[in-house]
Amino acid sequence: MKILRLLGISWWLQLKMRSRSAFDGLLSILWPLFFATSVFLMFRQGAASGPALLSAAVGASVMGIWSAVSTTASAVLQMERRLGTLELLVAAPRPFALLLVPVTLSMATIGAYSMIVTLLWGRFVFGIELSVASPALFVLSTLVTVVAVAIFGFLLAVASVRYRVAWALGSTLEIPVWLICGFVVAVGDLPAWVQPVSWLLAPTWGMAAIHASAQGRNPWGDIAMCLGLAAVYAGVGTVLSHVMINSARAHASLALT
Amino acid sequence: MSSLRILLFGGLTSYRALFRWMSPWIAIPVFIVQPLFQIMLFVYVGRTAGVGDDRFFLIGNAILNAAIPCLFAMGNTIDGERYQGTLPLLLASPARRIPLFFGRALPVILNGFAVTIICLCVGAAMLDVSLPAETWGPLALAVAVSSFSCTGLGLLMAAVALRVRDVAVLANVVFGLLMIFAGVNVPLVSLPGWVAATAQWLPLTHGIAAARELAMGAGVAGVGAQLGVEAGLGLLYCVLGLGTLFWLEFDSRRKSTLEIS
Amino acid sequence: MAERVIEVSELTRTYRTGGLFARSRKEVQAVRGISFAVQRGELFGLLGPNGAGKTTTIKMLMTLLLPTSGSARVLGLDVVKDAQQVRRKVGYVFGGDRGLYERLSGLDNLRYFAELYGVPPKQQKTRIAELLEMVGLKGREKERVEGYSRGMRQRLHIARGLLHRPEVLFLDEPSIGIDPVGARELRVTVRNLVEQGTTVLLTTHYMFEADELCGRIAVIAGGRIVASGTPAELKSNVSTGSIIEVDVFGLPPGVESQIRGMPGVRTVVVDEREQAQVLTVHTEPGTEMAPAVLSRLEGSRIGKLITREPTLEDAYVELVAAA
Repeated sequence: MKILRLLGISWWLQLKMRSRSAFDGLLSILWPLFFATSVFLMFRQGAASGPALLSAAVGASVMGIWSAVSTTASAVLQMERRLGTLELLVAAPRPFALLLVPVTLSMATIGAYSMIVTLLWGRFVFGIELSVASPALFVLSTLVTVVAVAIFGFLLAVASVRYRVAWALGSTLEIPVWLICGFVVAVGDLPAWVQPVSWLLAPTWGMAAIHASAQGRNPWGDIAMCLGLAAVYAGVGTVLSHVMINSARAHASLALT
Repeated sequence: MSSLRILLFGGLTSYRALFRWMSPWIAIPVFIVQPLFQIMLFVYVGRTAGVGDDRFFLIGNAILNAAIPCLFAMGNTIDGERYQGTLPLLLASPARRIPLFFGRALPVILNGFAVTIICLCVGAAMLDVSLPAETWGPLALAVAVSSFSCTGLGLLMAAVALRVRDVAVLANVVFGLLMIFAGVNVPLVSLPGWVAATAQWLPLTHGIAAARELAMGAGVAGVGAQLGVEAGLGLLYCVLGLGTLFWLEFDSRRKSTLEIS
Repeated sequence: MAERVIEVSELTRTYRTGGLFARSRKEVQAVRGISFAVQRGELFGLLGPNGAGKTTTIKMLMTLLLPTSGSARVLGLDVVKDAQQVRRKVGYVFGGDRGLYERLSGLDNLRYFAELYGVPPKQQKTRIAELLEMVGLKGREKERVEGYSRGMRQRLHIARGLLHRPEVLFLDEPSIGIDPVGARELRVTVRNLVEQGTTVLLTTHYMFEADELCGRIAVIAGGRIVASGTPAELKSNVSTGSIIEVDVFGLPPGVESQIRGMPGVRTVVVDEREQAQVLTVHTEPGTEMAPAVLSRLEGSRIGKLITREPTLEDAYVELVAAA
């Protein structure tokens, strides 16, 4: 109960902070929208229609959830360092992981806004029919994907706590995840050696659940896989965060100076 | 100081000074890995949507990614100068301004050029796209011209950056617009009329089209007109950029706003 | 016998500069085997110039840095092994602009940290209101921190550090960059805290602040503690005794060297001013030279005479210079 409250309040205040910069917000929605538009144009050129087009639209809109996290998660600890708050977070009598997950969750929440904007863009500019077979399951699958992406981002953030140029690696991961996790391209269409990597990434299963709900198939298997993998990431990330923070304490890299 | 020396040294030093944080850990992911993945993304989307062929997307996205260094670097240069407080010095320097700016542009153009060539080579190998040896020269020319015109746009953006705060956001938006308008992933004929019309005035549109024709075996003579337009556009943007720079500087001196941080 | 709330023993911290691929790596010893203890309810000062190792020491006690060697215990808990438990009971306030979320309001910042530092949910609202009142930010808590002045930020910092009612408060250079009025209010706040039973460890490089506030001081320079004790004890350690300054109108010849020759006089300096000469006599500690000096000056017209005690500044400068 106490943990839920901590996660909830942290998430809410982080979201408040992030949504206060109109400029940053604009870019985080606009950037994936450019790519989604390219995808829409390509499918329209290919005379796609009905389920294929909807699938492309849905997949393209989910790209925004990952965009919002990938580019900022790897830099979040450097930003806290610059604000001078990283030390205060470490000095709090809580496991550091519990403090970091709400941060990436707030980023993924903004990604969810981006998803909605992209879907509306598809509907009103490209006339794509947004008829989803099971709306409730669709929303649930989306929420599960948001959580999975947030935890993936948390893993990314922890892995980059010692490295001040990690943001470059983080932003480089943006497009690979779109491709490998089957957002707009079916995992089956990717080279055989890539597919195991796809299956190990939680967002792949979240995306599959979303596609399934949109097309009226059963998403529960995918949801379970997604949450299961996310739980593994959370575990690994927690252990890693403990190690990383101790390393930072030993090497004095919690502060800027 | 002769203009040529200013051209070379001014360019190299400011570029390096501002990109001093540019370690291989940043340069390789941003300039090589990311563009390659972008190429792969659109190749696979193209296959899924049943449009274009691998070579189409390879050339379009490879040349588009020349825009990254071109747009960002020019913008960064001016923004960085402003941040360091050396912008007034730059504009007041006794050296003739034009060689100075072209000096700053040269490493940027080379960077854009190098990024595209590497992406083309590696991409072609990965996708098993054939680019016959005789096309390499002409392709390199098309890439060079495209890099130049992008740099011109970058210069215009850099001039605008004197008044606007965040160049990086602007550069990202321009990159996105070019991706949609310049026929990178969708041929102009399949785009709405007004989009295609606007694209004629943007860098990369003609360069990419020319490069695609060259890759299919057309000779340089066949694409000469397009390359000419591309180069001309580049020049136009340079002129507009420099003009804006001088005007803004004059205006800033009047209102003393050049020191805006 | 008062309880020892902070115990530091041979604490050392070495930094290695240069990253993995750096050309050369140097070892910098920021803290070299310091030892001291602080008792419950004390206001203890760590006084030293910049770079002396004060911040490094506090960070080690705050569990933010791991010591290279030596040990430290806060409230009986080891700062390395029992870090999580230590964090529950200590507060950390540092000077400067950073350490707050700029885009959030003061109130939101406090809400966030209240949650983080484990203030029970039912008490959060009242505690926050109480602290805002105490630091004088009531009415401005809904504004964003990015609009706060340095003084307001510092006050918010203190409120933040006290949210969870820490038994020990670490204050790292809290009055840096604050105007004198603000600094004075800060000192009053700190004194009140100590009166209410909080143990405070303060680092500063302002001598008068340490002198005015602290019950005991440790002077740290070059990573070592060069002296410790009450301000009075430190002053008495200064090797110069009282300083006598006399305005004399027309000093007769020979008197200067006479005074200089007196046992108990260290140095004599004469400054020519417009109408008078100022005679400055540094005496040996523990002597009372004013009557003797005055008797030598009999017959001359004398203006004002000041006997000045050595200040903590004299002591400090001497100690730091020797380090």
